[in-house]
Amino acid sequence: MSARPGVGLRKKRVAMTNGSKDIQRAPRLTITGLKKSFGSNQVLHGIDLDFEPGQFIGLMGPNGAGKSTLIKILAGLYHADEGVIKLDDEPVRSLGSRTECGFLHQDLGLIEDMSICDNLRLGQEPMKLAGPILNVGRERRSAADAIARVGLDRGVDTPISALAPGEKTLVAVARMLDRGARILFVDEATSTLPVGESRRLTDALRETVRDGATVIMVSHKLSEILDCTDRVVVLLDGDVTTDEPTASLDRSALVRKLVSAESESAEDLEPDNTFHPLGGELLALDSACYGRVGPVDLVLRGGEIIGLTGLPGSGLHDIGFLVQGSAKPTRGSVRVGDGVKRALVPPHRETQGGIPTTSIRENMTLSSLPRWRSVTRLLSLGRESTDAQEMTSELNVVPGDAEGAYQVLSGGNKQKVIFGRVLLQEPQVYVLCEPTRGVDIKTRTEIYRLIRKLRSTDVAVLVISSDSEDLFAVCDRIGVVDDGRVTELESSEEMNTQQLEALV
Amino acid sequence: MSSESVAHAPSAAPGAASRESAFKRLLGSPLTQGSLTTIAFLILFVAYGLWLGDKFVNIDARLLDVHQNAPILLLGLAVMVTLIAGQFDLSVGGMATLTTFLSVGLVVDHNWPFGLVLLACLLAGLLGGLANGLLVVKLGVNTFIATLGTGGIFLGISNVLFGGTQLAPTGDSPQLPAWFSGEGSLGSFSEKFPSIITWVALAVCAVGFFRWLQGRRPEQRSQASWNVISGGILVVLAAILFGLDLVGWVNGISVTIGVMVLIGLILWIVMKYTTYGRYLHATGSNPEAARLAGVKTDKETVIAFVTGGLLAAIAGVILAANQGAASPGVGTGFLLPAFAAAFLGTVIMSTGKFHVWGTLIGGTFLLWVTQGLIVGGLPFTWTDVVNGAVLVAAVAVSTVFRRRA
Repeated sequence: MSARPGVGLRKKRVAMTNGSKDIQRAPRLTITGLKKSFGSNQVLHGIDLDFEPGQFIGLMGPNGAGKSTLIKILAGLYHADEGVIKLDDEPVRSLGSRTECGFLHQDLGLIEDMSICDNLRLGQEPMKLAGPILNVGRERRSAADAIARVGLDRGVDTPISALAPGEKTLVAVARMLDRGARILFVDEATSTLPVGESRRLTDALRETVRDGATVIMVSHKLSEILDCTDRVVVLLDGDVTTDEPTASLDRSALVRKLVSAESESAEDLEPDNTFHPLGGELLALDSACYGRVGPVDLVLRGGEIIGLTGLPGSGLHDIGFLVQGSAKPTRGSVRVGDGVKRALVPPHRETQGGIPTTSIRENMTLSSLPRWRSVTRLLSLGRESTDAQEMTSELNVVPGDAEGAYQVLSGGNKQKVIFGRVLLQEPQVYVLCEPTRGVDIKTRTEIYRLIRKLRSTDVAVLVISSDSEDLFAVCDRIGVVDDGRVTELESSEEMNTQQLEALV
Repeated sequence: MSSESVAHAPSAAPGAASRESAFKRLLGSPLTQGSLTTIAFLILFVAYGLWLGDKFVNIDARLLDVHQNAPILLLGLAVMVTLIAGQFDLSVGGMATLTTFLSVGLVVDHNWPFGLVLLACLLAGLLGGLANGLLVVKLGVNTFIATLGTGGIFLGISNVLFGGTQLAPTGDSPQLPAWFSGEGSLGSFSEKFPSIITWVALAVCAVGFFRWLQGRRPEQRSQASWNVISGGILVVLAAILFGLDLVGWVNGISVTIGVMVLIGLILWIVMKYTTYGRYLHATGSNPEAARLAGVKTDKETVIAFVTGGLLAAIAGVILAANQGAASPGVGTGFLLPAFAAAFLGTVIMSTGKFHVWGTLIGGTFLLWVTQGLIVGGLPFTWTDVVNGAVLVAAVAVSTVFRRRA
């Protein structure tokens, strides 16, 4: 591990002792024989789990394995068909309404325009001075205590919108703890955070575990689970297939548990170190500036896959927009080779990627529609749908009907559809931002395989990701975006995760 | 046979479950969902028919409703285009009023040649739409405020230019062209649309429907048997339609209605079969994603406002043809039924998307619901109450139902 988190940790300990007086042990959570079906499709086949207080549990499994269903049943959003949930031997219907349980989703449920203090008070018993007049001083002191407990060093009047993504997550954790939550469910909250910030979150969670809380964290990130949890539970197709102390597992053992029988997938996660011939220069940034980035110099050549990483707020993805052309440089220039087409997988799938009200076909073909225009200038829906169906099958999108609705797909399948859109453009420059954000390990290997297949001497690929695993798996050379500039690109073979994380 | 039933015996309970879920799937299927509101309306009309008899079941009277309200339905299409782009255009009522006054006033007060008058009306629609589009896209003015303001301006211009009073040709003023307004003209209900065109269009629809059915062949059916079944469905449908006096309906269609349907057809082709239509839907659904996917969202939005302005201008011209006169603020009251038609369109023949045919049919159903009540004795002053109530009820019911399924 790098040296930096240690400093933060020490600060946090001091803060912890201030706030820990009202902290109690978590109740014991027992789940027995939990079953759930949707229609004729059984999603959970009888889950038995027992969570002692003071444990940090990593819950893993591919998309569709039943993790979300399990969490939703516990939160009371779904009802189990069979099975019992008990808190300290007291059977409960769900944990959603229990003050001792807290759920943290990717959507943190914070109001951006309001301050930290106001967000913490929302939905809580008001602290009143007299009549309807609020005791603002007491509210602020209580909020300051709550965020100190998670090691967040910010003024309580700071609006949420001014915080980094990781800090927002910490506020959400502080709010759960402030409301008395002792069993914390953290559902993929780290998937959109860069390494440094997700470590702050897991450190804060670790501290609450040390004080007797239970944390159950859903994550696809292997290194995170291996680094910070005490116990790993893996769900595969609605069954608990692994329930072991983390100490007994290493990375490759965990990958094997996750992909069950398919051993080929594991290889795809490893870097590909064979030699590839380079082509000519396709695109170059010359001291280009835009937003918070710049001046950036970067050359993309055919046959090469370049990776960039950095903190959010570093303008990481703005470089992607510059390269793709949806952002114009405010200074400097972007030189694009003659007839070079560029295509983009945007970093935020939900807000920037999909067109929610349309079909898979319409999502895939959006960027290359003129291709299906006939002589009358009207679209030939028949040819369009044949091509879209072919791409849907090739990318193994599930369910595989191109006329199906896009919005109901799982995250990984949505990502494949966006990839399909980019592939149909047949560009020479691919800009892939956060290509594996929030997708399971199987889809991740499929996406890595796909990216490697793009390689050819007249195609350049730029992968921009805050997940270092992406960069090591597919990139030839890696650069770090720091303070708006890109560091010297280094060969991925000469770097390892620790070095890279230290740079970020 | 017997071995098969033995093999299936142990799974009897899941079988029941899958039947139940098949029922749920049927209820949840887009086709069922899309036709539910339609069926609800049809049941209502049957009830009206039983209650009011010949006073409601009267092809001429019902087509006259559509004829008289064609401007409203066209305004429904005008707002639909901008709604698809994710914008609201509240100025269409003002624009329609303006072009009604231009159509009548430029002839009566200023003796312009009529061709030039029509050109001026279309130009007004184009410029008005362009102004809306540029205000919203370039200056970033909120779409409600921008179009509320320009709508006021359009309405105001009609008052300023023509004195703010009722305007109609008099004995000694220049007259509107005979083909445009008055007895036996474009605007009169007695002037019928050539029925041959309607029959050809219906035949094309029948072929299209047959091909659509062909594409939905269940796997266990052979092609030949499915052909027979599809043909059977078509024959039964045709029999029902002829039973409902299809001939009478076709012969009763006025030129105005025909023109309106033609405009609808062009718009439908643009929305479904051009890149522009696809880009517009993407822009309305997720502008950021559309922009990053290479769609020029600003341009598409401006074009949507221009199209809306043009349609509103045409609506005003047709209003002038129908009435042969212009009254102050005539188009402003059309805003509610126009939006109602567009929103009803999202729950008729569609699940939540704006749609040309949905808008025209939804708007027509809305008319008939109101007319039925008026025929039944409700004072016509209740029209807006009924319009508002039907809109809210239809959209609310189908939203709740969709959430359940």
